[in-house]
Amino acid sequence: MHSFSACELHRRFVDGEVSARKIAEDFLNRIRQLDPSLGAYLEIFEARVIEQADRLDCKRRGGEPLGLLAGIPIAIKDNINIKGEKTTCASKFLENFIAPFDATVTRRIREEDGIILGKTNLDEFAMGTTCENSAVQITRNPWDSNLVPGGSSGGSAAAVAADMAPIAFGSDTGGSIRLPASFCGISSFKPTYGRISRYGLVAFGSSLDQIGPMAYSCEDLERIMQVVAVPCEKDSTSLSDPAFSPVSFEERYGSGFRVGVPWQFLEGLPNDTRAIFDRALKSLRSIGADIIEVDLSILQYAVSTYYILCTAEASTNLARFDGIRYGVRSDRAETLDEVYDFSREEGFGDEVKRRIMLGTFVLSSGYQDAYYRKAQKVRQLIINRFNDAFLKCDCIAFPTSLSGAFAFGEKKEPLSLYLEDLYTVGANLTGVPVMALPAGFLPDSRPIGFQLFGQQRHDAELLSIGRAFQSVTEYHTQRPKGMNK
Amino acid sequence: MKEHNWEPVIGLEIHAELNTSSKLFSTDCNHFGDEPNTNISEVSVALPGTLPVLNKEAVRKAIQFGLATEGDVQLWSRFERKSYFYPDCPRNYQITQLEFPIVKGGCVSAFVEGEEKTFALNRVQLEDDAGMLKHFSAFAGVDFNRAGVPMIEIVSEACMHSAKEAVAYAQAIRSILDYLDVSDCNMEEGSFRFDVNVSVRKKGETALRTRSEIKNMNSFSNLEQAINFEIARHISLYEASPEEDISKVVDQATFRWDPETGTTILMRTKEDAQDYRYFPDPDLLPLIVTEAEVDAEKEHLPELPLARERRFCQEYGLSTKQSYFFVADRKLADYFEQVVQACGDVKMVCNWIAVEFTGRLKEKGIAIWESGISPKDVGDLICLIRKGAITGKIAKSVADEMVKAPGTSPKSIIKNRPEYQPFQDMDQLKKIVEEVVLENPDTVEAIKNGRDRSFAFLVGQVMKRTKGSAPPAEVNKLLKESMK
Repeated sequence: MHSFSACELHRRFVDGEVSARKIAEDFLNRIRQLDPSLGAYLEIFEARVIEQADRLDCKRRGGEPLGLLAGIPIAIKDNINIKGEKTTCASKFLENFIAPFDATVTRRIREEDGIILGKTNLDEFAMGTTCENSAVQITRNPWDSNLVPGGSSGGSAAAVAADMAPIAFGSDTGGSIRLPASFCGISSFKPTYGRISRYGLVAFGSSLDQIGPMAYSCEDLERIMQVVAVPCEKDSTSLSDPAFSPVSFEERYGSGFRVGVPWQFLEGLPNDTRAIFDRALKSLRSIGADIIEVDLSILQYAVSTYYILCTAEASTNLARFDGIRYGVRSDRAETLDEVYDFSREEGFGDEVKRRIMLGTFVLSSGYQDAYYRKAQKVRQLIINRFNDAFLKCDCIAFPTSLSGAFAFGEKKEPLSLYLEDLYTVGANLTGVPVMALPAGFLPDSRPIGFQLFGQQRHDAELLSIGRAFQSVTEYHTQRPKGMNK
Repeated sequence: MKEHNWEPVIGLEIHAELNTSSKLFSTDCNHFGDEPNTNISEVSVALPGTLPVLNKEAVRKAIQFGLATEGDVQLWSRFERKSYFYPDCPRNYQITQLEFPIVKGGCVSAFVEGEEKTFALNRVQLEDDAGMLKHFSAFAGVDFNRAGVPMIEIVSEACMHSAKEAVAYAQAIRSILDYLDVSDCNMEEGSFRFDVNVSVRKKGETALRTRSEIKNMNSFSNLEQAINFEIARHISLYEASPEEDISKVVDQATFRWDPETGTTILMRTKEDAQDYRYFPDPDLLPLIVTEAEVDAEKEHLPELPLARERRFCQEYGLSTKQSYFFVADRKLADYFEQVVQACGDVKMVCNWIAVEFTGRLKEKGIAIWESGISPKDVGDLICLIRKGAITGKIAKSVADEMVKAPGTSPKSIIKNRPEYQPFQDMDQLKKIVEEVVLENPDTVEAIKNGRDRSFAFLVGQVMKRTKGSAPPAEVNKLLKESMK
């Protein structure tokens, strides 16, 4: 059961082949069996899951209309609110924080009868590329338990990769969905900025943050997008476009399409990653792609631009964690300043502190012009170059990372970790939709992904290309060894 | 101190809470005085995951104010985060406007010491208010009901040169807000409060010298005293060190006003000024307003204080001073017009409202429109005087009663007090008049010889005997007849 796709589970449930109770129990069993060693989940809502599954079975027996996600178990990154459940952001600061309201995404999942299994691990406040910054636990890569799952949405990626949920939600500020998806050999989608409401997502870099789904196949991504990509009046940056609706690849691109590749930007790519990337382009050609060159050399400034902007925004977004209303309040504090200082000192991990300090610095008077404002200008230039590139092509192909997942503790230097974001941050700086799809395996069997960036608001078009790609490739059907029980 | 050599330079930042039904960035109720922490949702207390959504009603009210002060309403403006840590600020940043405010420029007119003056505005910006700290014996609590309440910050140019001008300016702003009905302007509740910047310079100088800022005052008298205190302090500092480099005499600093001691108290100097790290709030889109929306607001603007002031002068023949007196308070001006409508005699209405009733109500500390005395009753009182039904003297006693028991009509007061009733027995009056004439032959003689002033003495005698209740016109007539 657990190896079925989300769409398949839904079909079987709706057709009465299998009960929601059975699906729920099957996934809960799988999680009980595998997760103690993987550590993907921070919390599993066992009682709630069974209760909801039974309600769904009743609903179906009574002939009531069933939602688009009926029978589909879903995992949610623990920086997205579920009413009545903890939202810890894998931070000590929020270890006891219970969200009193649903994120829009959560509400939509409920409305369409999705079964929320639990909350998944992440780098603290989604700040990291390996999931090692979680203050709670380590998550292991299902393909090789010595490897990191990638971050920050490492728990969600590992949960999907190990078939502990057919669909999981992550959030992507600079690659936090795509990098772990690629490290874990699954598909993922970061929609156009504003396509999925951020209401109820604990903010990291507000102008870059975007919630997105992870699954093995683009077909499943399309299904979930129909539910969660809707306008939301509680998020001012939410797009007013009508709800996401899949488009037919044949109708849209049957007569061919153009894929841009920024060749000069890919020069540093190791040979084995490059070979996999080239093979992905070949598969794209086989479905009608015309590969052309685009100039995105400006992306050499993307990582520094990104780290100035995301830390600036984060430094203010995380200011609300002050020990006054909720979260950690230090026992040592005797004065107001000590409440702030000690609570934040005790509640936040090193990476979070580093980014708050960096962000405070780049905004401070005397430095703002040289850093924050300059980065805003560069961001605009990057957007302009992407717009130019999209005049020539329908989508742009990138690798997701220089190589596959690495071992725990292998990369400790913050700067070298920041450079892991080289290929991913461009999509966040420009707000364009992007998917990362499985593209093959390195000689040592580590999965590798590649990305396709689409034009603003062409989310459905992009996913249709993803589906076509997956109709001629099989990487997304591979599962980690030792997990198929 | 040679004060006449110095010119104070004053600028004001006025914070006016808008009387919208909900808060600036959430649907939480905007209402003062409720049980603490009841008008809050997850947005007002900035729980993780919450986002701001701009209240259009607040935008409309800010635009109305901009139009009313002839400001330049900006079709593109934006919000910024202003970072500082304080427990009443749930996000630990305020959402405000800095580089691109919703209104730029503008001006207001005010009447200062017998002269009409115009003061220039720099800008109007939309922002949200903070909560309120409440101190208890062993701890402090925060009431977040006010957190997120919309405000406009109205920033003047440094264009005022005396405390009196600053007060007149602030009153004019309040009056405009009141006419537009965009703010309650309740100073006790803190919905209208000001920060002031004060510096002085030698007359004739054009550059500004170092300023002091006095923050968060909520009464006009505090404003006036605080400004005068700082002006005097600056002048004495400069005069004490005439040789010193003028940029080193006064420290740029922020103060608060202590009404108890009548002094300003230092809060912080420039050195430990906060770095607010302003930057555009990524949670909000730029605020875009169309010409059509601005025009729609323009069409619905009510009559504003200045226009009403001009109309009062023209239509009722009031002096500029009288006119400003009434229009400064919208409800007072409304009251004035209602009384005029009821009795028609503008001159008497001016006197009875501005002098008689205002004087009588001073002790209660309230204005006539909130006293419970209806415009109709005041109008009736004036009509009774004009008809000669009561004398001016009795009218004053009736007014005393009206203030004591608001809502009681002058007619019923007179009815219940025989001594206020007009002397109606004309035969009896005639008899009294004749007695007075007989008893004062010398005076009568003097009148006949042209001493008109003595006539008033006879009238007074009659009034004395009728306890002031005789209709004056009738007394005059009867006296003249009986002296023939």
